[in-house]
Amino acid sequence: MKNIILLTVDTLRKDSLGIYNDKENLTPFLDSLMNHSLVFTRFHSSGPYTQASFPGILTSSYYLEYGRPQKLSPRRVVISEALQKANITTAAFHSNPYLSDYFGWNRGWDVFYDSMQDEVSDMIPYVRGDQINQKVKSWLDRYIQTDSRKPFFLWTHYMDVHEPYVPKKQYLQLVDSSISMSEQEMFDLFKNTLLKRDTSNPQLVHLLHKLYRAGVRETDDYIKDFFNILQQNQVLENSIIIFTTDHGDEFGEHKGLSHDGKFYSELVDSPFMIIDFDQNQKKTCHNLVSNLDIAPTILHLFDIPPEEKFEGQSLLPIDRYQERGVFGEAIGKTGSHEKPTDLPVYYYRENNIKIIYYQDQERWEIYDLELDPAEQNNLIHSYPRAGELKEKLLPRVNRWENR
Amino acid sequence: MDKEKRNKDLIDKSKQVIREAFEKYDSSKCAITWTGGKDSTTDLWIIRQVCTEENIPLPQVITIDEGDAFPEITDFLVRISQKWHIDLKWLCNFDVLTACLSHLGNTVQVERLNKRNQEELKRIGFTEDSFVFEAESFAGNHLMKTVVLNEFLEESKTELLFMALRRDEQAARKEDEYFTPKEGGYLLPEHTRVSPILHFTERDIWDNTHLHNLPYCPLYKIGYRSLGARSSSNPGDIGVPAWEQDLENVPERAGRRQDKEKAMERLRKLGYM
Repeated sequence: MKNIILLTVDTLRKDSLGIYNDKENLTPFLDSLMNHSLVFTRFHSSGPYTQASFPGILTSSYYLEYGRPQKLSPRRVVISEALQKANITTAAFHSNPYLSDYFGWNRGWDVFYDSMQDEVSDMIPYVRGDQINQKVKSWLDRYIQTDSRKPFFLWTHYMDVHEPYVPKKQYLQLVDSSISMSEQEMFDLFKNTLLKRDTSNPQLVHLLHKLYRAGVRETDDYIKDFFNILQQNQVLENSIIIFTTDHGDEFGEHKGLSHDGKFYSELVDSPFMIIDFDQNQKKTCHNLVSNLDIAPTILHLFDIPPEEKFEGQSLLPIDRYQERGVFGEAIGKTGSHEKPTDLPVYYYRENNIKIIYYQDQERWEIYDLELDPAEQNNLIHSYPRAGELKEKLLPRVNRWENR
Repeated sequence: MDKEKRNKDLIDKSKQVIREAFEKYDSSKCAITWTGGKDSTTDLWIIRQVCTEENIPLPQVITIDEGDAFPEITDFLVRISQKWHIDLKWLCNFDVLTACLSHLGNTVQVERLNKRNQEELKRIGFTEDSFVFEAESFAGNHLMKTVVLNEFLEESKTELLFMALRRDEQAARKEDEYFTPKEGGYLLPEHTRVSPILHFTERDIWDNTHLHNLPYCPLYKIGYRSLGARSSSNPGDIGVPAWEQDLENVPERAGRRQDKEKAMERLRKLGYM
């Protein structure tokens, strides 16, 4: 049985990857894996920021399924818990405070590194990818020596793309050699423009996007190092790697910055691929799928029966997957933190039509993603099937309140 | 494995790490942190042995008073430092204590603090005008613990700091190394930290304590498993000595508030509120 590795990059826009047609070669290493990859073209995040999306990825359940608690509900089953029960070693390495021990995400892991006991720099509130890799390496080196007969599930998550967008100098050079900024200048740009969600100056928004893209280029190198660690321990051939993100990032597409409570494609249209070195040509899958399908897929790959509480379905085998549209939900926040007064936002997509409901002001939007991929023309008053789509979304609104 | 044999192996490993430390750093460039808790007492006990065996002077021993210490801990530190002939250096941020009239729960006006403390708050992104003095709160924790330690490192030109972290304390520490270099920066002196007892489990600490009759703070006897500031530490099973509790299945730090504060601090930085 193969090991399964879930490799996630926080805040990674789909359109920054060469595999999804970016032309600037930001991800040369990831792109080089293409011929061993099953690439999904219509994969969706169930939330536009960490807290809203990760319940989808690791617990195959929607963000607001159990109300609005701050911490992970004990009623959710984390994929690590299901695997640990099946005698699979589970290890996690990440640096996202929302997924830390404190918020309850340490359940089911034999090894859980969330970096919370380490010091971080004043500007960047997470540890960089090289430090994550170091932790993975020392765990894996030891694991291979002692326990190598037992399959493992490893989750590695990088934060380096995430704001405050302070990439290392050499990567900014690679992305745009005409930009020369000190770390302090980058940080000031973040504080004065991004934190204020100020999109009035398109040049500054463009500059933020450049810094973001340098972070993507930097992360591609961490991924390369990560694969080297796997190879040195001779587990690469014997592992399946699932690669994705929790959500994207906005650079003014819908008058905002960062990742707030919205459901447009720059935030929820996400990269997703399954890498297997036993496979030697690129495969593509156009099924309309959700990040809730990840945990069921992992169970399937480990040959473990489905978990009752998981709401998604296994993505494999591809031809057995039943499309049923994708949902997502979040709190309509603006800024890094949800306020108790912020109200929920919901979306549903089937085929190429997306419907969004903002509970605040009871506002509806409908977009035809084929004719209007930038989601600029709201069709709520003209789309003939608007009523039918609303019916599909409404049962999800505040559903926990009636339980 | 036989308990005594295991204990000997654990101590031998610690001694090896300590010898390696003294090969790299002169004793005068080293310092030992001692909280009065079970781990740092064990750590200090082993370092003293190596110093005696190798004829090396014991490095400066320091303790940080966060302004909210258990009297039992203070008393323990005083008693044992006399017994072990240790010249213990007490570190305390008196400026903050003056500003809050040494009273927990009082509000500290940032403008009444000295320049260094104000600078330090700025450095960690704390921009409010005041905060409530609590030892393990965001601003309080930084000023009472980190700042005094940084100041000490800077003034004494310490290059190596002996700590008493253990791998089994938290899942997050499982991959820790014995030596960790700390990068320097603004108000942050560069130094290396070493934890010679990293491989001890909580159970090993108690086995060692009993086997060699090491002194320990009486609070452990009434149920405390992990001692931090008085107001943020709670006993595990009340009345049951620490070593008789379910050490293997109940987290050691369950009685402490620190984890929440750590998470909150990162989130604050993430949003720079």
